[in-house]
Amino acid sequence: VQRYLFILWLLVCVASCPSKVCGAGAASTDVGNPTLAEEWGVGSWIWTERTFDKQTCQFWRAFDVPSTSPVGKARLRITADNEFRVLLDGRVLGRGSDWRWLSDFDLTWLLPPGRHVLAVEAFNDALKAGVLAGFRAELNNGQVIEFCSDDSWRVVPEGQEGWENRKRAKATWPAARVVGTFGVTPWDTLPRGVTVLPAMRPIELRFWQQGWFQIAVLTICGLALLLCARLLAQLALQSKARNLLQHERARIARDIHDELGAGLTQLVLLGELAQNDLSEPSQQRVQIGHLCEKTRALLSSMDEVVWAVNSRRDSVRDFATHACKYAQTFLANTNIRCRLDVEPDLPELPFDLPSRRNLFLAAKEAINNAAKHSGATELVLRIHRESGWLAVAVEDNGAGFELSQAGEDRNGLSNMSQRMKEIGGHYKMVSAPGAGCKIDFRAPLPRIRSKFLSLRWLKRFRRGSAKKQLETNTTGPVPHTV
Amino acid sequence: MTSTTSLPIERPRKAIVRVGLVEDIDEMRQSWRRLISHCRDLECVCACATGEEALRELPACRPDVVLMDIYLPKMSGIECTGRLKILLPNTQILILTVAEEHDMVFRALEAGADGYLLKRIRPEDLRASILEALSGGAPMSSEIARRVVESFRQKSRSRDATINLTSREEEVLVLLSRGFSNKEIADQISVSIETVRSHLKRIYEKMHVRSRTEAVALFFSSPDGSTST
Repeated sequence: VQRYLFILWLLVCVASCPSKVCGAGAASTDVGNPTLAEEWGVGSWIWTERTFDKQTCQFWRAFDVPSTSPVGKARLRITADNEFRVLLDGRVLGRGSDWRWLSDFDLTWLLPPGRHVLAVEAFNDALKAGVLAGFRAELNNGQVIEFCSDDSWRVVPEGQEGWENRKRAKATWPAARVVGTFGVTPWDTLPRGVTVLPAMRPIELRFWQQGWFQIAVLTICGLALLLCARLLAQLALQSKARNLLQHERARIARDIHDELGAGLTQLVLLGELAQNDLSEPSQQRVQIGHLCEKTRALLSSMDEVVWAVNSRRDSVRDFATHACKYAQTFLANTNIRCRLDVEPDLPELPFDLPSRRNLFLAAKEAINNAAKHSGATELVLRIHRESGWLAVAVEDNGAGFELSQAGEDRNGLSNMSQRMKEIGGHYKMVSAPGAGCKIDFRAPLPRIRSKFLSLRWLKRFRRGSAKKQLETNTTGPVPHTV
Repeated sequence: MTSTTSLPIERPRKAIVRVGLVEDIDEMRQSWRRLISHCRDLECVCACATGEEALRELPACRPDVVLMDIYLPKMSGIECTGRLKILLPNTQILILTVAEEHDMVFRALEAGADGYLLKRIRPEDLRASILEALSGGAPMSSEIARRVVESFRQKSRSRDATINLTSREEEVLVLLSRGFSNKEIADQISVSIETVRSHLKRIYEKMHVRSRTEAVALFFSSPDGSTST
């Protein structure tokens, strides 16, 4: 019975596809696609009005997926004589080039609620041409959406931009024309089979691929750039302000020096002359002598002010020079010998105004104390660098004192500690009765030393070459008048 | 002290010291002139307002000492000092400054000056300084001494030995830079104070020679040889 059935079935097969010759092909179709017998699920062959060889034709069909229920299963079957390319919502689903094989695309995952667009590009190589398609979607609530190739499809003329994405057809797009019924001449052969393609997944964009994220990143970058620009502008402004301040300080120092200094010097000279004119010792002569001395004292304090103000003196080297000069001048009027121990080749490290001023005043206090109280015969002022610190020591060989008794009654001590604290430094006092007194001050030097140094070197180099140029010039620089 | 030899009756020390003056402000120049003339043993023989005038007038006056203002219009006091020292090698040139500007003073000393004075100096100190400068090296402050030592150490590598410091000279300089006075140095190294002064004088001379050889080198190296002297 089985054998008879098989022969009968073979006969049916041969009868139903007389134009097909390959028996093996028929066999494979039957074996591979047992569902073929149920339903093909396609509409009619459609094409445009005219048919000619080497023709490309574009078909457009939109459909809506309701939001009531998600899509449970959806498929599209399609083929074309001779070739096609099918797109859903602008995304290519696949191609086919044999009209006898139906391609089955699983669209279950690609159909969120809303309007979708199927676009088919078909190519006719020669003679008859047509596109055959059918779509069926089952929603989870049982509703079915079905359509197939018929005159509800639209033909898109050539040269339309973005037509495969358009949600609405243009009025100028003509409707497709039905050119043949499925299974009837000229396509009277039933498809050999269905090529089931694996289900396509929606293209999932990672979060960094999504528009909102990219916009956010761009915005953040933009904001950061803006912020940087603002900060840079502020920095530039600040350094400009600092430069301006330094310039102003240098100018003020020069003005004081030029105007006041010259004037006071003149005053001293005139006073001395007046004194000379009064040859006899007299009251006036003494008074004029006082006047001259007062003026000299004024000049000395002016020097100090100029030194403090002048931004060109903001260096360790100038600090050392000034401190030594002060110690020598001050101790010259006392019975104390002044000895200096300054590190040779002190570089022109930057040493800003508060630091050098406070350190100087602290050292000055120590020197004054020694002169007043110690009864020493010798005082040594040492200035050295010690790994990031500037160490200034004031040593005397005087009477010394008990440190515990020094306490607060010595007003200078609290001053010194206050001053050193202000500049982030510290001081240490060593003394004992009969063993003199030694006060160590330490002020921090700028941290970014090497960088500053290199810049300074550059500047010095430039200044040096500029100076040489000036020196070689016969007229020489025109100095400011004194 | 060439001029003093022309007056054989008086011993050099007692001779009137001929002082030249270069100062650009009229009032100051008059004041200085009077002040110098008031001092015992000093006579102001020539007062010039500019460096150019000084180069013209001073050589004829044969001054023993020239007081030179450091800031002058056009030719600076430093340059004038350098040129004057060539014209009058035996004249002592002292720089006058309002305040101690070590950079300028040091450059002037290199150019040929033999010392510097603050303009606010007391008349008695002025006289003493001038006489001291004539009798040997003018006093050198510790700061200047430090710079001299540094500059000789920096440049000594590339220079010939004749214009390098001797060890004794360097010792004197180091002691000066440590705050010793000339007398204390004399005691320290067991020599007379005159010897210390002569050391100082030679140090000044070496500085001048050195800066002059540098100037010559500069002259030959500069593309247009017309600029330096």
